[in-house]
Amino acid sequence: MTVFKFSLKRSFSNKTNLLLLTLFPIAFIFFPEGEYWPVLPYGYQYFGIVLLFISIRLTTIILVDRAKGVVKRLAVAPISYGSYLCQNLLAFSVILVMQCAIVVYGGVLLGVELYQPHWLMLLYVSFSFTSLAIALAWISIFRSKESAFLIYMSLVTLLAILGGLLMPLQIFPEALIRIAVLFPTYWLNQGMSWIASEGPVGDFILINGVLWLYTIIFMILGSTRKIH
Amino acid sequence: MRVLSTVRFTLLRMLRNYIVLLLLLIVPIVLISLFSLILSGAVTDTGEPYLKQPAVSLVLCFQLFGGSTVMYMIHSELFTEHRARMQMLPISLTMYAFSIMLCGVVYSVMLGVILMTFTQFVLGVIWEHWLWTIYLITLMAILSSVVYLVFMLAVKVYKTAERLSEVYGIGFILLAGLFFPMPDHAFFRFMGSYGNPLTLSTIAIHEMSMNNTSKAWFAANILLAATIILFLVMMVVGRRRFMRDRV
Amino acid sequence: MKAIKEPTLYIHGWRFLQIGLLMHVWIVGDLGFRAFILILLLLILTSLRWRFRLPVWSVLLDVLLCLLLFPYTDIHYVALAIPMFELALRGKWMLSLLLVAGFSLLHALHVIDSTIDLIFWYHLHAFLFGCFSWLTIKSQQSYKREADEQRKARAELERIKMDLLEANHSAIHHAELMERYRISRQLHDHLGHDLTGALLATQAYEYVKDSEEGDKLLAEVRQRLERSTVSLREAVHNVTPTAMIGVERLDYIISSFQHKDIAFYKSGDMLLVSAYMWGLLEACLKEALTNVARHSDATKVKVDLQVTESIVRLSIHDYGSVTAGSHEGSGLRGLKLRARSIGGSLSVNRQDGFLVVCVIPIEKVGEADEATNRR
Repeated sequence: MTVFKFSLKRSFSNKTNLLLLTLFPIAFIFFPEGEYWPVLPYGYQYFGIVLLFISIRLTTIILVDRAKGVVKRLAVAPISYGSYLCQNLLAFSVILVMQCAIVVYGGVLLGVELYQPHWLMLLYVSFSFTSLAIALAWISIFRSKESAFLIYMSLVTLLAILGGLLMPLQIFPEALIRIAVLFPTYWLNQGMSWIASEGPVGDFILINGVLWLYTIIFMILGSTRKIH
Repeated sequence: MRVLSTVRFTLLRMLRNYIVLLLLLIVPIVLISLFSLILSGAVTDTGEPYLKQPAVSLVLCFQLFGGSTVMYMIHSELFTEHRARMQMLPISLTMYAFSIMLCGVVYSVMLGVILMTFTQFVLGVIWEHWLWTIYLITLMAILSSVVYLVFMLAVKVYKTAERLSEVYGIGFILLAGLFFPMPDHAFFRFMGSYGNPLTLSTIAIHEMSMNNTSKAWFAANILLAATIILFLVMMVVGRRRFMRDRV
Repeated sequence: MKAIKEPTLYIHGWRFLQIGLLMHVWIVGDLGFRAFILILLLLILTSLRWRFRLPVWSVLLDVLLCLLLFPYTDIHYVALAIPMFELALRGKWMLSLLLVAGFSLLHALHVIDSTIDLIFWYHLHAFLFGCFSWLTIKSQQSYKREADEQRKARAELERIKMDLLEANHSAIHHAELMERYRISRQLHDHLGHDLTGALLATQAYEYVKDSEEGDKLLAEVRQRLERSTVSLREAVHNVTPTAMIGVERLDYIISSFQHKDIAFYKSGDMLLVSAYMWGLLEACLKEALTNVARHSDATKVKVDLQVTESIVRLSIHDYGSVTAGSHEGSGLRGLKLRARSIGGSLSVNRQDGFLVVCVIPIEKVGEADEATNRR
């Protein structure tokens, strides 16, 4: 599990990452509540965007490895590429799940109204895996860390707007609401609405199932080994 | 003036930076088109389309980030990669730095004007006082360049300066209450109106469109004053840094 | 962008465009989440097909998915185009055609209700594209195989050519050594023997007091010297070849070239040049003069042969105007290869007329023997 250990260390070595991974989630607990919308406090509504953001910062470690030629060396090392990828992703997912736990249970401790915190934790965990998979698929297209990150920011903004995270979905025209279903952020939004409204469990399982299907799809697309 | 001959190339280099073009032109165009699709022509009681407010905010928001090209160019030309070469040349480096700043401001204003034209002619947002808006965009662009340069000159590590400038941009957008409403505290109220360049310019444009010229000029003058003060700060910090780092 | 020229890019493009089509159908129609899940599952299979090479029976998974997730909607019917394409892509066009026919039969008999009337044509189109892709990939593979075999054969030929040139070189070298050995043995056996005898006799003459003995010794000396002179004359006469070798051949070639006015300059010790080098120089000269006769309008040709201790340099310069598109013929190419194989070079310069220069290094005697021993 060497790669796992070092992945964890590398994620925290960058100063910006350190700030991002520690202070940010805690700050998000304190964001105010909205009046009619969103159903959960603003911090929890935007936490999905933060998860997408953190996952691209973490997966750029793999991108940097590719650019520096570490992947080439790994090709002749006695470690399979699958094992390298899995250990990296395991390390990143541990970090993301920790963030989710801090945000959710920190909020519970501070008395924020979260309706069903355990289900919310589950939803966030599913979405963190999805965002990790999306980030992995994204970096397989790029060679340079900066361009990958900057263009991803625009993509995340688009995903957030179209999925209904930044504005309530009800004000969208009909066609856009249909199109929104294609984006994973829409399913996160639906999940959060379910948590606030306490509907049937089947719906929640469907939402999580779809998020996991997205995870599988993006994992398959992003798992190619590219040697530059 | 030898510096004039470099202006053309500085502009060309700025235009070649495709990622910045993507982020400062394409992304706002896409966002504002999305907003227009979402709001699809809904109007307020006074007949003004709902789209006007986000359009104004977007155009001005992206001016907050216009200084990034200036910061990058001056850093690479005068402080790192081409430093030795530039210091050997028979041109005045202060004038060259100013020319880069000027080009950066012109570039930023140009992008802003393209955005305005796009929103007016494609999406139907009517901008009433073009010259006034362009004046405010220019002020915002100059302020952004100055702030970015102050960060770069004051801080030793370039990466920290980059982070600080990002905090400046995103911070003021946050404080303007564009993501979620700020708490009702005196500090936040100040930063949400007169302490925030974004809100100052928004107020100026709004007041001018309602023909309250005095209030509009008041907001614009605060912005101008802040720009001038920070410009002087930049000169001081820059001179000190330049003297210290002379090869 | 080499990837654009690969057919597999378009096959993957078609696969993902199918999913795009399905999503569009879903957005436009009023279908529920079950159909959306079907699209996601089909997307998983498509991604797997992009990433790995799935076996043909994975098509069954597609069909199963379409069958299991009911209610059946337009998405299911359009999605059936995927297994039709995949079967045709793997060469199982009969099965694919069966699927197309089966579906259209069920559609015609109103067992299956689809709002898209033209769906039969769409399935047929998918089948046709699958067949086309299969044939394209097969022919691409056969071309690649053929090209590989050609390349192998060519590499083999090149190797044999180099081997032959080397063998030629070593054979000539060997022949030289054998001749040298024969000559040295002949000289040693006959000439050396007689001359040593004569020397001994003159030495003995100094010690003889009797004049009769002395006369006999002198006669013996004369006899021996006569015999050795005959032997030497024989050796020289027999060994000197009558055929022209070396620089004489070059002279002969030049003198029999009637077309232009040729000036031949020689310098250096011609004996330093070994036999295989003469072969190459001769070939060079012949080729250059042929070119002059055929392509050039020059009136004067200058041939310069310089032999030094380390190199031999032959240059043939014709002062004419060269035709613009004069390419290197295969003759000069072959000569370049030969020159390179013995460590020399042949170069052509077209600036001032046409100039061919051949430079060959001269092996030192000791080096040559070492090289032979090493082999």
